[in-house]
Amino acid sequence: MSSLAIFVWIASVFLDTAGRLTFKSAAMTERETELQRWKSMLRSPWLWAGIICFCLEFAVWLALLSLIPLSQAVLIGSINIVVVMIAGRLIFHERLDGLRLAGMSLIAVGVALAGGFA
Amino acid sequence: MSRARFYLVGFSALVLVDTWTQLSFKLASHQTGEFVMTTAWLKAAVASPWIYGAIAGYLSAFFTWMTLLKHAPVGPAFAASHLDVVTVLMLSALLFGEQLSALKIAGATCIVLGIVLLSLSESKDVTARATVD
Repeated sequence: MSSLAIFVWIASVFLDTAGRLTFKSAAMTERETELQRWKSMLRSPWLWAGIICFCLEFAVWLALLSLIPLSQAVLIGSINIVVVMIAGRLIFHERLDGLRLAGMSLIAVGVALAGGFA
Repeated sequence: MSRARFYLVGFSALVLVDTWTQLSFKLASHQTGEFVMTTAWLKAAVASPWIYGAIAGYLSAFFTWMTLLKHAPVGPAFAASHLDVVTVLMLSALLFGEQLSALKIAGATCIVLGIVLLSLSESKDVTARATVD
């Protein structure tokens, strides 16, 4: 992969992770009714930050596919799963058990093999 | 519709629309050409009909996912939402003549096994919660 492709890939992982984490922050509001909950989510700056991340991610993913084969992009794109789980652990203190750690490690190894980093 | 049939149709639909989205993205990138940070490149992206195929795919995936989650356990649903890796890999070789090297196939195998482990862990979590409730 060219250094431009690697840069675009990292940008895509960053935007995807940021989008999911901001959506999670926006979704964590508790309100009396479902309608009130949606109203408060729509007012949340987190939700709009997330929407901006996903719109940018759309363009960045297209940019990545214009640089590398689709088969390679979907494989190395799987690292999102691992990064989001690590971030969930750090920010929201989500649980990581043995099965999850094993799954995350396997995905990381797979990404390294497919990306030619191994 | 029986429960098993609902899952089968729902999960297949999800893999199908996710695969469609990725193929549309790749076809759109054929029309834009290699990425350069210019407005001309962005204009080419907006002008490509396939980009709207990708948008339609994202929207369909969202609604399929939401319908599926009403009934399906989150573990298998999570796995299914990532298993389009396999179909996209096969179709990118078939349609775009991409090389599937031994390294790529080894990588894909690790990734799929990893996704299966994660979905097992999600299923276990849900069972544990259901028992507490």
